[in-house]
Amino acid sequence: MRTAAPADPGTRAENARVPGRALLGGTRRLPPPLALALGVVLVLVVCLLSLALGSRANDLPQVLAALGGRGEERMALIIDERALRTVVGLAVGAALAVSGQLIQGLTRNPLGEPGLLGVTSGASFAIVVVTALAGSVSGGTAAIAAIPGALAAVALVHLVARPAGTGSVVPLVLAGAVVTAVLGAVVQGLILQMPAVFDSYRYWVVGSLTGADLGTLTTVAPVLLAGLVLAITVAPALNTLALGDDVAISLGSPVRLVRGAGLAAAALLAAAATAAAGPIAFVGLAVPHLVRGIVGADHRWQLPMNLLLGAALLVASDVVARVIVRPEELMVGVVTAFVGAPFLLLAVRRGAVTDR
Amino acid sequence: MSDSLRTRRHERQNLAEEQEQEQEQEQEQEQEQGQGRGQAQEQGHAARHGGGDRPDEVDRARGGDRPDRQAPQASLRGPLIGVVLVLLSIAAGVWTLARGELGVSPADALAVLTGNGDGPAEIVLTRMRGPRILVGAGAGAALGIAGTLFQSVTRNPLGSPDVIGLGAGAGAGLALTTLVSDGPGSAWVGALAGALVAIGLVYLATGRGFASPSRLIIAGIAVAAMALAVTQYVVAVVLRDEGSQLAGQLVGSLNSRSMQHVVMIAVALAVCAPLAALLRHQLLVMDMGDELADALGAGAVRTRTAAIILSVVLCAGAVAVAGPIAFVALAAPHIARGLVRSPGPHLMISALVGALALLVSDLAVQAVPFLEGLPVGVVTAGLGGIYLGFLLIRTWRRTTA
Repeated sequence: MRTAAPADPGTRAENARVPGRALLGGTRRLPPPLALALGVVLVLVVCLLSLALGSRANDLPQVLAALGGRGEERMALIIDERALRTVVGLAVGAALAVSGQLIQGLTRNPLGEPGLLGVTSGASFAIVVVTALAGSVSGGTAAIAAIPGALAAVALVHLVARPAGTGSVVPLVLAGAVVTAVLGAVVQGLILQMPAVFDSYRYWVVGSLTGADLGTLTTVAPVLLAGLVLAITVAPALNTLALGDDVAISLGSPVRLVRGAGLAAAALLAAAATAAAGPIAFVGLAVPHLVRGIVGADHRWQLPMNLLLGAALLVASDVVARVIVRPEELMVGVVTAFVGAPFLLLAVRRGAVTDR
Repeated sequence: MSDSLRTRRHERQNLAEEQEQEQEQEQEQEQEQGQGRGQAQEQGHAARHGGGDRPDEVDRARGGDRPDRQAPQASLRGPLIGVVLVLLSIAAGVWTLARGELGVSPADALAVLTGNGDGPAEIVLTRMRGPRILVGAGAGAALGIAGTLFQSVTRNPLGSPDVIGLGAGAGAGLALTTLVSDGPGSAWVGALAGALVAIGLVYLATGRGFASPSRLIIAGIAVAAMALAVTQYVVAVVLRDEGSQLAGQLVGSLNSRSMQHVVMIAVALAVCAPLAALLRHQLLVMDMGDELADALGAGAVRTRTAAIILSVVLCAGAVAVAGPIAFVALAAPHIARGLVRSPGPHLMISALVGALALLVSDLAVQAVPFLEGLPVGVVTAGLGGIYLGFLLIRTWRRTTA
């Protein structure tokens, strides 16, 4: 009912502040060090699964033997391939999750997600334009094109949403939708005119770890590292920023600098991830929510937890994508959309997103 | 001021003495009631007859005069704009027919329609450009009506089947259907099923039905993301040419339409448009809020459900014949409201605006060199996105200023 009063304003307000906890139904928090240790274990388990499972299931002993250098040669080759894929997955997942954390923290906006704010469409746009001009691009060139594109799109979204003030989540999301629509139209126009560009774009746009090679990884890695270092530097200042701009300024925090550096870090991470694996939806949205529910509001604990859980979620999704339609495989972007979107729907239903 | 009013009174005395008597009765009543004449109706009467010579009364009377004087203007303005829109749509259609090597001049077209045209003109008219124009006009009108219904019952000027994921859902349904079978009939079923699933998910996710606009939008974004993943997956796994064709269809295109498509959108319009017109009165009341709508007998929940079902069917119909064409459903009601400048859902004008917008956009992808050969959805998405951006900025400026 439209007029139904919220059950308890106090609880609701608290839930709004910690949406992750609202979703977990008030789970008791783990001590952060224990949570981190569990996260490491989770990542290791997921990595092992990722090496072991594919279009054909291999026995775990076989995989362990190959890892130890004693298995059959064929097996070793398969494992090599899967290892590279797993490493790219870990890096992309971790980058997206941290990027989401930064954007959510900076905008005090639980819906902050690189994709919703235009990073993805900006990166897509830049990559398509470069592909159209140059014929074809390697992963490395794509990354170089994607990063300024993503930064420009984020700036544009903020410019469009600025007149609305910072009171509500919806303007940013709508502005993101507007920018995405316009850039998407141009992208569609380009790819439909050029069959070759269309052919590479249609695989890339779903988001997949299949095409990732060593070259992509080496070109993307410096950008990822730069973004990560910047993120680690900024994270403690985000705690002060969470108190509100006025309080942060009165505590001596350089608010503008923090916000600029944080957004730059978020855009670098997301752009690098998008360049490596295509636009992968919702990892950057869902993981920071979960992490907030587990380790609480302190950004210094959130950052490593996001690294671990983001990596684990993406690699796990990739495993699911490989296994679910054997002997074919899905793209990982399809799986994350179907894992992440219900999460967002649940958040909307609980009122954790809109009723602030 | 009061002199001119007196003159007017004298003129009207000559014209209608009965009214003057009425007015005198009113004045007597007023004297009895002292200041107690707050009702707009009385003010209207008083104003018309120039009642009241004291300056403050004159001012009040003039204030009450405005709605009365505007009403006839607005009622004339609507049909006038309608006629202009129809003429412009016809002009766009005729231009589309006439341009290029295969162009059919209006005279040839008339000859074909009256049954004595020559071969080439008949083929162009009945198999190529005729269906294209009719499908464009029909789909545009359907989207215009769908958007108006939706915005009206959600009381959300930005609510549209596009924004809340209905178009994306229909697109996913369409894409999945092409994996299974082809033919416009099954595409219709797939698009409708996809749209229904999407809107059902959004309904469930908001937790309070369609009442909260911000919840609606964000749930729509989530549902649209899932639908988009499905669509992109299908486009990526089919053969390249098939994928390219599907991608064009998924943006929304009027290329190579047949009379079958015309019949489909015509049936959808013929069923839904009269039903939407029947809802018009209830929609007008819905603007006042659910409680008042219920009190006035409009049945808020029933009206909303009916309007959204109609909106879904119309939108799915448009998707089935032309693909999920972006932003027409969102922009047409706004443009219609800006043109008519009176409250209430302007179903007819929105439909005409939608039809005209689609015809002109389609003309653009045929005639503008840079856009040539693109699906029409690319143009509407680009222009519509920019329009929505301006609309948002203007609204936000106004609300925060």
